[in-house]
Amino acid sequence: MSAYIDKIKEISNRLLKESKVDMVIGFRKGTVPMMNEPCFAKTPQDVDNFVWDSNCGINLANYLTNREEKIGIIAKGCDSRNIVTHIIENKIKRDRLVIIGVPCKAMIDRHKIETMFETEIQDVIEADDKIIVKGDGFEKTLNKSDVLQENCAICIHRNPVKHDEVVGDPVEEQKDVDRYEDVRKIEAMPPEEKWRYFDDLISACIRCYACRNACPLCYCHTCFVDESRPQWVGKSQDPIDTRTFHFLRAYHCSGRCTDCGACERACPMGIKVRRFTKKLEKDCLDLFGWEAGMTLEERPPLDTYRSDDPDEFIK
Amino acid sequence: MEYMGIEPGRLHFSWISSAESTKFVDVVNKVTAAVKALGPNNNYLKTMAKVA
Amino acid sequence: MKFIKIDKESWAKGLERLDDSFRLFGPVKQDKFHNFKELDKGELPDLSLLNTRLSPKSVVYPQSEVMFEYTLDENKEDHHILKEIDKDYSPRAVIGIRPCDAKAFLVVKPNFDAPEYKDPYWIKSYEATTFVGYACDTPCSTCFCTPAGCGPFHEEGLDLLLVDTNDHYLIKVITEKGENFLSAAGWGAEVDADAASDQIETMRHTAEAKITSRVSTDELKDKNITDLFEASFWEEAAFACINCGTCTYACPTCWCFDIQDETYGYYGIRMRNWDSCMYPLFTLHGSGHNPRDTKIQRVRQRFMHKLKYYVDKYENGIQCVGCGRCIRLCPVNIDIRRVCELMNSYGG
Repeated sequence: MSAYIDKIKEISNRLLKESKVDMVIGFRKGTVPMMNEPCFAKTPQDVDNFVWDSNCGINLANYLTNREEKIGIIAKGCDSRNIVTHIIENKIKRDRLVIIGVPCKAMIDRHKIETMFETEIQDVIEADDKIIVKGDGFEKTLNKSDVLQENCAICIHRNPVKHDEVVGDPVEEQKDVDRYEDVRKIEAMPPEEKWRYFDDLISACIRCYACRNACPLCYCHTCFVDESRPQWVGKSQDPIDTRTFHFLRAYHCSGRCTDCGACERACPMGIKVRRFTKKLEKDCLDLFGWEAGMTLEERPPLDTYRSDDPDEFIK
Repeated sequence: MEYMGIEPGRLHFSWISSAESTKFVDVVNKVTAAVKALGPNNNYLKTMAKVA
Repeated sequence: MKFIKIDKESWAKGLERLDDSFRLFGPVKQDKFHNFKELDKGELPDLSLLNTRLSPKSVVYPQSEVMFEYTLDENKEDHHILKEIDKDYSPRAVIGIRPCDAKAFLVVKPNFDAPEYKDPYWIKSYEATTFVGYACDTPCSTCFCTPAGCGPFHEEGLDLLLVDTNDHYLIKVITEKGENFLSAAGWGAEVDADAASDQIETMRHTAEAKITSRVSTDELKDKNITDLFEASFWEEAAFACINCGTCTYACPTCWCFDIQDETYGYYGIRMRNWDSCMYPLFTLHGSGHNPRDTKIQRVRQRFMHKLKYYVDKYENGIQCVGCGRCIRLCPVNIDIRRVCELMNSYGG
């Protein structure tokens, strides 16, 4: 990781010095364990704050939306796919960007690690493939591979798909990963059980919209839940309204979601919100052979028509 | 929608031209028959906000 | 000052007895974390916690609360008239509330219970509630209650303070409300006040020593509002913010709400829901103009309100009790301690 950090700093400094960019967007060290804070650097002093480790799960493409400056951006595999999606959707111009690719070694699941311990975690240290968790009177070593964010554990695009600079050699991509085991389990349930499953899943939801706001795709000026004329969804804690929010949001991400996991990571209540988006991601792959953000050359399936569309009704 | 627990057959999609009036009638009949056969949807229904 | 000893057997029995005269709320572990909820009959509050994920402000001030009902049916005499609905304001008690969260009710009180404006829902709920505090001997590294003018054994806002001495509970009686609660529970084993007081003092010192977060708030009141408002650090401090409502919803001292009508056929309700200054919709005018249209403005508002406007307006300290929830839950690690330092030290 320290090699990555050195390289990130070196590239960022160079880009700023040569005025190739006005700012570089990256992460600085967090004030609590397993958290880093997205930040920008406009000067070499700012660049000194940049870090990289397994706690950079927030998707930085989210910070590009409609920005006008020339920006350098640190991008792991999923971030780069969301940058591609942003370019396709005209939320940022390719020529305003210098993408600093990070071959990603997967992020750790802060929610999972927190729930493994009864008392407070005061420090989390990374050493190669080990994660050392420390608290008042305890220290435990975990295998990093056991505590990955769920989306990282099944990720097959760890290397950035587009980059102008890169901070290290490509990492080996995972092969033969079963990406949709959880979705298939839900698909196999009878309707009533499905209904209850999602009732339970979102029962803790407080409608804070952290999932939506952490998502680079959710850039609508006014989200449908915030519309008041007409008002599509009630604003209270009513379970039907909460469900409508989650499902409709997932629909809006279909063909665009890269399964970066930012939504799930952001949720203060630890809700597995990817259970919604992954179904649509799976359908897009099954029906259209589409994975979002892999190419600038092709339009996404939901804004094109092809005569070989798999649905009969539309022909 | 089926994924979240709406029964199969409750939601229909169709593509009908404004010139295809007979197809429209046909589809409407089929849809209403299918939905009536399923009975009322008691899950996805908000009679009043369940709040404090 | 009166102190009562309760052994852990009579704890459960007393709570059972209280069930008849109080609605009891307490921390319960739901799935992965603790939250406050109304206890079922015979259910015990789970006090083996650091603190609840969300604050107990919802006991008095629910996230969604119905205020009025109405009918649009013109055949009814009282159609199109808002009518207050019946609510349960019978005595209730929050058991196991941390002192920081209890003080928070006093911090928000000037808003809901001001001389010129009274919020009947909040006031009635608040007055119906007995606060049974649970002294905190396991503060988190994100806790900064002592610098925020509170503390792990702080008594302001509490009716009783419950101290766990391992083999039994010691209860310090703070108010008459607390006294009534004790007699309803049948707990009356009074102990020597000096000895109990000394024991609690010692424990308090130990607990306070565990709070290592240092936050300076002393300069805030002397800062010039417009200087702080126009300070250069806001762009950097606000950059990471995604404008979700997590910090405000988790916060025990955030009080803002939005009023909504919902109509079902001819029947309808008017309710209020927590709102958040982090949302653009919060300040959107009917004209379409939004005076806080950018993220920086919204983030600045939240911190200025808590750490400057409140300080100046109420002369009651900061609008924060240092519970640390916003720090622990923020998806992008915006840390109020850091922002507070920036504000407190701004301009030298």
